[in-house]
Amino acid sequence: MNFGYLLFVSHHDTIDYLKMAYALALSIKNTQKPGYDKVAIVIDDGSKIADLKSSWVFDHVIEWNKETFWNGRSWMDKLSPFDHTVCLDVDMLFTRDVSHWVDYFIENSQLYVPNKVFNYRGHEVTNRSYRKCFDKNNLPNLYSLWTFFKKDSQLVDDFFTLGRYIIKNPIEFSNVFLSDHKPKILGTDEAFSLAAKILDIQDEISYPLEFPRIVHMKPMLQDWPWPADKWSDHVGFYLNKQGNLKIGNYQQHDLVHYVEKDKITDETISILENIAWKL
Amino acid sequence: MKKGIVIYAHNNRSIDYALMAIISGGLAKKNLNLPVSLITDDSTVDWLKQSGKYDIACDVFEKILIVEKPKTNNQRFLHDGDAKITIPFVNTNRNSVWDLTPYDKTLLIDSDFLILSDNLNKFWDLDVDLAIGESINDIYNSKRLGYLDKYVSETGVKLYWATTVMFTKNENTKLFFDTVNYVKENYQYFGDVFRYDTRQYRNDIAFSIAKHLLDGFVETNIGRLPPVLSTLDRDILVSVDNNSLKFLINYRLDNNYCAASLSDVDVHIMNKQSIIRQSEKLLEMI
Repeated sequence: MNFGYLLFVSHHDTIDYLKMAYALALSIKNTQKPGYDKVAIVIDDGSKIADLKSSWVFDHVIEWNKETFWNGRSWMDKLSPFDHTVCLDVDMLFTRDVSHWVDYFIENSQLYVPNKVFNYRGHEVTNRSYRKCFDKNNLPNLYSLWTFFKKDSQLVDDFFTLGRYIIKNPIEFSNVFLSDHKPKILGTDEAFSLAAKILDIQDEISYPLEFPRIVHMKPMLQDWPWPADKWSDHVGFYLNKQGNLKIGNYQQHDLVHYVEKDKITDETISILENIAWKL
Repeated sequence: MKKGIVIYAHNNRSIDYALMAIISGGLAKKNLNLPVSLITDDSTVDWLKQSGKYDIACDVFEKILIVEKPKTNNQRFLHDGDAKITIPFVNTNRNSVWDLTPYDKTLLIDSDFLILSDNLNKFWDLDVDLAIGESINDIYNSKRLGYLDKYVSETGVKLYWATTVMFTKNENTKLFFDTVNYVKENYQYFGDVFRYDTRQYRNDIAFSIAKHLLDGFVETNIGRLPPVLSTLDRDILVSVDNNSLKFLINYRLDNNYCAASLSDVDVHIMNKQSIIRQSEKLLEMI
């Protein structure tokens, strides 16, 4: 089996995406079983990897600068060095071993994109504040932050080829397919959902499943009785020396998409590095 | 294993909890066909004797256990329909039930919870040591409930309703009730951590926090009793006949009322004065 996680990083003037990817890779090494803990990073400047204390957490460094951010992520199928890949947003952390999820998808899927996420209390998100474009345009409710795919699959090739084309031509696709509520930015969630709808494969690539379980920390998804701009204004983020993560009063056992980029501090990195070094 | 029901009653100057416990206990005994014991204090027993209800209490309760009346600074604001009163609330000793219960398996209920069915008998054989009422179900609809009827605070953990608590007496449940006591004794500290309002001690909150801690800081589906069907203190129990309870429901909480009738279901009646007003009829049901 040749499986791994794929992360995309490009330079940003104010946000250190490499630091987040490093924390995510450390959390993968710290929690996943051997064989399920490989990480590849696609980065526009590979020399920066050498500055990390534990650059070995990246099993593959792929220097590539043709696209940035979600434009780059839509090339995941072409850039992955693995036969089976999960491409992740970098602002995520693993909290436990979920390699059994991977076994399922390798066995049963060519392509899978989750259709639900959970809040920090573990409740399935029903709030639609960030999904108006999906609802108004009747798009499948996909979350591209965790995308599984198999190499050398026609389905996968068709999907990502169309996804790339949508991202390259956002105005045209918005005018034709998303006219009931045009997104301000057509990101990978919208592009992948639209691609799935046009290809009519949503039932094939996003059928109901109880996993992957991803905690999505966009503030309006937390089911609080008032609107919130930042979740960290209301609940704390506590990573202890064993790498156990609490958000507010809740222990996190799922994959956490923390959204707020400043959560990965030098202290967070130090904790994750210390665990990795003791393994 | 001997099963039974336990009710606490400590009278205050406004509410005759002992009389409510007789009604609640009598209905539980009749409909669950199990013995019931009362945990109370000397002054409440004195009042039972003065009011001529002690003999009925001796018929209803298998045991009447006398404990020291807990001291309380708890003041509680209660409605009686559109009228309001503030009363001292003596309820801080529920965690002692593990030590005091005469039963191996105990159903602890509030004295304002009237058991009119045998539904709770289905839960004695659950493969858990302890289960708590998982939520509150409003008799009219969920719109009358607030966020703080579901969570201990805006960002805090799920609120369980300790109106019904079923447990097996063992080391695991001793740990649970010790934890409830620990939360009670450090209520301000836990209020800072779990962000709840500390001005009034609530058993529901202490039990919920203890459950959350012992469940490993996650919400779990394990250890839940059915939602507690409830009428609010702004609703009024107006008549009782033929095993049927009739209420005026303050359905928009603006003192406009609609009628509702219940029979053969368990119900939590928060308007305690209205239970007392209907006590003679309710006593006929036991």
